[in-house]
Amino acid sequence: MAGWIHMVTARTPTNIAVIKYWGKRDESLILPVNDSISVTLDPEHLCTTTTVAVSPGFDQDRMWLNGKEISLSGGRYQNCLREIRARAEDFEDNERGIKIAKQDWQKLRVHIASYNNFPTAAGLASSAAGFACLVFALAKLMNAKEDPSQLSAIARQGSGSACRSLYGGFVKWIMGKEENGSDSLAVQLVDENHWDDLVIIIAVVSSRQKETSSTTGMRDTVETSMLLQHRAKVEVVPKRIVKMEEAIQNHDFSSFAQLTCSDSNQFHAVCLDTCPPIFYMNDTSHRIISCIEKWNRSEESPQVAYTFDAGPNAVLIARNRKTAALLLQRMLYFFPPSADTDMSSYVLGDKSILKDAGIQGINDVDALPPPPEMKDKVPAQRNGGEVSYFICTRPGRGPLLLSEADESLALLDHSTGLPK
Amino acid sequence: MAEWIHTVTARTPTNIAVIKYWGKRDESLILPVNDSISVTLDPQHLCTTTTVAVSPSFDQDRMWLNGKEISLSGGRYQNCLREIRARGEDFENKEKGIKIAKQDWQKLRVHVASYNNFPTAAGLASSAAGLACLVFALAKLMNAKEDASQLSAIARQGSGSACRSLYGGFVKWIMGKEVNGSDSLAVQLADENHWDDLVIIIAVVSSRQKETSSTTGMRDTVETSILLQHRAREVVPKRIVKMEEAIRNRNFSLFAQLACADSNQFHAVCLDTCPPIFYMNDTSHRIISCIEKWNRFEESPQVAYTFDAGPNAVLIARNRKTAALLLQRLLYFFPPSADTDMGSYVLGDKSILKDAGVEGINDVQALPPPPEIKDNVPAQRNGGEVSYFICTRPGRGPLLLSDESLALLDHSTGLPK
Repeated sequence: MAGWIHMVTARTPTNIAVIKYWGKRDESLILPVNDSISVTLDPEHLCTTTTVAVSPGFDQDRMWLNGKEISLSGGRYQNCLREIRARAEDFEDNERGIKIAKQDWQKLRVHIASYNNFPTAAGLASSAAGFACLVFALAKLMNAKEDPSQLSAIARQGSGSACRSLYGGFVKWIMGKEENGSDSLAVQLVDENHWDDLVIIIAVVSSRQKETSSTTGMRDTVETSMLLQHRAKVEVVPKRIVKMEEAIQNHDFSSFAQLTCSDSNQFHAVCLDTCPPIFYMNDTSHRIISCIEKWNRSEESPQVAYTFDAGPNAVLIARNRKTAALLLQRMLYFFPPSADTDMSSYVLGDKSILKDAGIQGINDVDALPPPPEMKDKVPAQRNGGEVSYFICTRPGRGPLLLSEADESLALLDHSTGLPK
Repeated sequence: MAEWIHTVTARTPTNIAVIKYWGKRDESLILPVNDSISVTLDPQHLCTTTTVAVSPSFDQDRMWLNGKEISLSGGRYQNCLREIRARGEDFENKEKGIKIAKQDWQKLRVHVASYNNFPTAAGLASSAAGLACLVFALAKLMNAKEDASQLSAIARQGSGSACRSLYGGFVKWIMGKEVNGSDSLAVQLADENHWDDLVIIIAVVSSRQKETSSTTGMRDTVETSILLQHRAREVVPKRIVKMEEAIRNRNFSLFAQLACADSNQFHAVCLDTCPPIFYMNDTSHRIISCIEKWNRFEESPQVAYTFDAGPNAVLIARNRKTAALLLQRLLYFFPPSADTDMGSYVLGDKSILKDAGVEGINDVQALPPPPEIKDNVPAQRNGGEVSYFICTRPGRGPLLLSDESLALLDHSTGLPK
């Protein structure tokens, strides 16, 4: 391979909306019908890693996702590439003899390799993390000077929810008013240290069927649901946004939980109000909700918030570690592993939560007593297999460049520019 | 037992709403936040039979439901008894030496025995049929002169949806404006012969859990769902107008589109409630997906679906031929468990099995995948999700039964047979 290869590797988190984005006012620019708020998940547990490389020796833009080459011809990828190229600046690395003038970026081709450390099939918003990482990494590669909010407006054009992964902590995607979308971008409400008591447990629910894609689904909802318009306007989401910002600022977990659960349920309600109706949650999702609702109501104030995206997985947010351990006990009580499952592949991420919950192995799971709030209604048997596994995580930081000195983390070979 | 016993036996249908009632503006009078429209189901297949008896020798009001004595002290029963008693007229039967003056009804006590020919646990709106039958039978017993609409206003105070079982065919429950509920009653839109092509197949879905009661559920929705108010004020009134038109014109496409959309919106506002209410389950969703896929595959909708406060599907086919095709699809996707006998898997009008070319379990196993899923044929078909099916049709309203052998109370003791 003649010529130099300049390469950058970044790691980006995924995020989960607590006030949901569902419905666009502009399909090509990806402008939403309402604001949304999310919590960024710790990239130590769930993340996308992306290496982007540029070289005069590359003759076309190419991308590999989780090892497999994919097409970059779609509008979303083209949008991101075009927008970052337009903002590129001069770059020079004297040691390696690399000198790129601002206008050269239009002609230079890039190689991209991206890898999610969680399965796409798990429905954990891999495209959000993926596009955010792509945009962030390309911006670093091309020496663009844009700040995270400006980058979020570009990531937005790849995937709406991606714009919220440009920051850690709690993030708001402002819907904007402008037709060209220049003011539709993400801002950070608070960083990942502001409310670091929170512990998040995700239940990855076994799903037999392919979900309706978010893009198609939300378009059908906009076109056919009379309830959606009412949700997006002054009446519902705008008021919830204000209250949610306040709850986050004040560490008011009760309000946070009540708003989060309500908004998740309302999102699924408008999905049901669509023609044809969309069902993202399944019986297991409903059982998880019932379990949480019963517990919350048996205590003086809510212990756990739940939220579901466009799939059956539950994202459960506990007020603190102690509560998270109690939550995990309940989850393992109601959703034990199948007989042949090994505990350490049943609880992933921050596995130390198992110790807090007093669980070492499957015997401890079998020995769990029924939670106090259901003492009148202990089920005859507890069936395994409804939940594939759990992931324990927490609110986390935004995108990071991985040290250029540590080449071992790069996904492209530094001399060929091809996936390792 | 010395004295006379005067009895009357009636049979009432149940009904299924196609534009749903969910939410009250007055809890004690049972006044709804919007109009609703229903189709009455053929009482030959699903009905409540009620015998009411009066005798000077009865010392208290008593009621037996499906053989078990129940309390009549609750507000809903008291409302119905009081309202009918207030409308009792003179009654005389010279042969049996019975002479009751209008005012005597206040002092005379009644025995009531009621029987549903379908299980309460099946979630098939037994309280609607039951309370309608009670009111209808008592009115006949006490010689009240009220017409069906006036009786519906009384049945309404027992159970909202009961008011729609006082008529056959298609029925509308007008929400009314008066605070005292005097104008909140049912009227008949079209009788059971108006659109007699329709065939109805109900899938009774196996449900592991106890449902949230409608009364509690709809109160929570009224109190906590912001979307409900919008539904009641903006959406339902327009749908009522269109649905009446669809029924009048036998416009099945419009009927189906409205029925499915309203069922889904009802479940949407249940989900928008705190705490959220889930009446449909995975099997319900699979049934919907199956119908939606078929409907979209054809030029126009073949089947309408609607779900009440439970997982059971009520599927309305445009005609018998379509119903047979529907049954084939349902048996394909929801075969019986290995040990089930077909004669107990399809109830009601079982002759639909013949139309569908299905005699026994072998025919079920031999069913080919429907054309609309040819790209997506599932690897296996699992039984057990549906307990059984009932095939029925739109049907008539309440009727007096004159055959004494059908009475549920013994004519000499006034106690259940």
